[in-house]
Amino acid sequence: MTNSINDLLARHTLIFTIVVVIFSLFITFFSEPYGNGLISTSFVKTLGKTVCLCIIALAMDVVWGYCGILSLGHFAFFGLGGYMIGMWLMYERTAIIVQEAAINELLPLTETELSNAIGNQIFGVVGGYEIPSIWMFADSLGLQLILVIVVPGILAFIFGWLAFRSRVTGVYLSILTQALTLALSLYLFQNDSGLRGNNGLSGLQNIPGIEYLGQEVISIGFFWASCIFLISIFLLFHSLMKSKFGLIITSIRDNETRVRFLGYNVEIYKLFIFVLTAIISSIAGALYYPQAGIINPAELAPIASIYLAVWVAIGGRGKLYGAIIGATFVSLFSSWFTGGQAPDIPLGMFTIEWVNWWTVLLGFGFVIITIFSENGIIGFLRNIFVKEK
Amino acid sequence: MNTLLKVEKISVSFDGFKAINSLSYSIGKNELKAIIGPNGAGKTTFMDIITGQTKPDEGKVLFGERSVWLESDQKYQVVWDENLLMKSESQIALLGIGRKFQRPTVFELKTVFENLFISMKKNRSPFSVLFQKLNRDEKNLIEKILGEISLKNEQDRIAGELSHGQKQWLEIGMLLTQEPKLLLIDEPAAGMTSNERRQTVEILKKLSADKSVIVVEHDMEFVKDLECEVTVLHEGSILSEGSIEHVSSNNEVIEVYLGR
Repeated sequence: MTNSINDLLARHTLIFTIVVVIFSLFITFFSEPYGNGLISTSFVKTLGKTVCLCIIALAMDVVWGYCGILSLGHFAFFGLGGYMIGMWLMYERTAIIVQEAAINELLPLTETELSNAIGNQIFGVVGGYEIPSIWMFADSLGLQLILVIVVPGILAFIFGWLAFRSRVTGVYLSILTQALTLALSLYLFQNDSGLRGNNGLSGLQNIPGIEYLGQEVISIGFFWASCIFLISIFLLFHSLMKSKFGLIITSIRDNETRVRFLGYNVEIYKLFIFVLTAIISSIAGALYYPQAGIINPAELAPIASIYLAVWVAIGGRGKLYGAIIGATFVSLFSSWFTGGQAPDIPLGMFTIEWVNWWTVLLGFGFVIITIFSENGIIGFLRNIFVKEK
Repeated sequence: MNTLLKVEKISVSFDGFKAINSLSYSIGKNELKAIIGPNGAGKTTFMDIITGQTKPDEGKVLFGERSVWLESDQKYQVVWDENLLMKSESQIALLGIGRKFQRPTVFELKTVFENLFISMKKNRSPFSVLFQKLNRDEKNLIEKILGEISLKNEQDRIAGELSHGQKQWLEIGMLLTQEPKLLLIDEPAAGMTSNERRQTVEILKKLSADKSVIVVEHDMEFVKDLECEVTVLHEGSILSEGSIEHVSSNNEVIEVYLGR
């Protein structure tokens, strides 16, 4: 019995891995630097970003679809990851520019002058030249990468510990997570938050040290990195959810009290999942924003996290590929409609412009899909193709 | 006989309503006892207090009596291993108190086998669970229990598809895999056929060979078949205690049960 199940699972993840690898190769062979250039660099970036959104959708599916915690704040962790990597990208690039400019000076710059020049370049827009203390590690890629994991990890740990210990569940927890992302976003909007207020961090697409490669090569690199991370996270979650640990996680979703009476410390399990998914969201964000080129506090707005829940619901929660289908489908459609490529529909005196009407369409789609198929697109497809006894 | 669980003068009220009123109770090792009472007598609240779901306003709940020889006083002194009021639900469960709910509460989306697998007595910390695999001994134990609860042929079925009686069995099976010292069983016979009830009586008696069992029921007939000491609860306190013949001849008990 267990053998046949294991075979099936092995095949399942194998199919996923093969599909993603073939897709990545396909994109690469049609890209500008390695192929005939049929696929533009900007579209490669869109795909790479979509892959990162799939990763956070996977995290959302695990925390919501499997563990039953409807977190409406996971985009905060995604954004934090972007900020953490953005600090290094921006600092390092500015430092290189300042140093290059300083070559023509008669006297070499003192350390203070150098620091002020960098500070002025970065923080001039918010009226300052001092480098805030939270940027103290910004000159080190290694340390900022550690912060990508540590900062959201600690935030999720403290938040989760307080919330789960007090047995906050259901809609109250969702509201708290919304408050978390809103508070973080509002804080980052402040000019004195040390992260350039509403300007955010920009120029992130220029990777210091390898700029000579050009965007078309760098975009392929990030695309591949995102795909490899997606595959690893899929495999990680897949094996985690098929293990005894996963059984307990889904049991917590189905009947928390019963699990508690079996002797499991439900709060620790929830905390584990919450922190793990927060860290994975953050890493996904750290891969996303160098492809997007800019991050600002609006990215952490509450609506972003709600969209995340919508993707997972549309794709089908409680199934890993459901999250991926939902995120791909909705975010690609979203960029098609809001990118001005969709043909507007003239209705005589009124024209439906998709840039504005896309959210209405998405809302309708969400309502219709959740009414007709509780388990989203995946559930719909399963009903058609898989005849259950 | 050592006392396993002792409840001392507990009281609890919800919004001014006294659900439990200065109640004292105890059960020894490997003893089978029954608690009966009409609806609203405080039976479920009593179980909630023992399992840590409700904290009483006053009173004590102690678990695991031991006698310790005191060298200085040249006599035995009674000590208790645990004060349950200081523990969370999961900690109490780990001490060896298993609970069967009134409605069968199994994990409906999991298979019968998986239900038993996650109840198994093992390290419950998430980091340990991450690497836990089913070994041969455990598999044999689950098979054995599947036999005892007559669900051997249903082990790969989704628990939600089972009949009501089978779910009750499965839940008892889940308690057995936990290897508890004390079992709290809430209305085991509810919704069972007379045949299933007889089997349930057999199982409960068998369980009390190496476990303490408290059965809560409001069905006098079922309790009679258990042939054990009976406690009658009424309005949060004990009305009468003793054999079933003793309590059923008590006028107050008759009034409470039949007078409504």
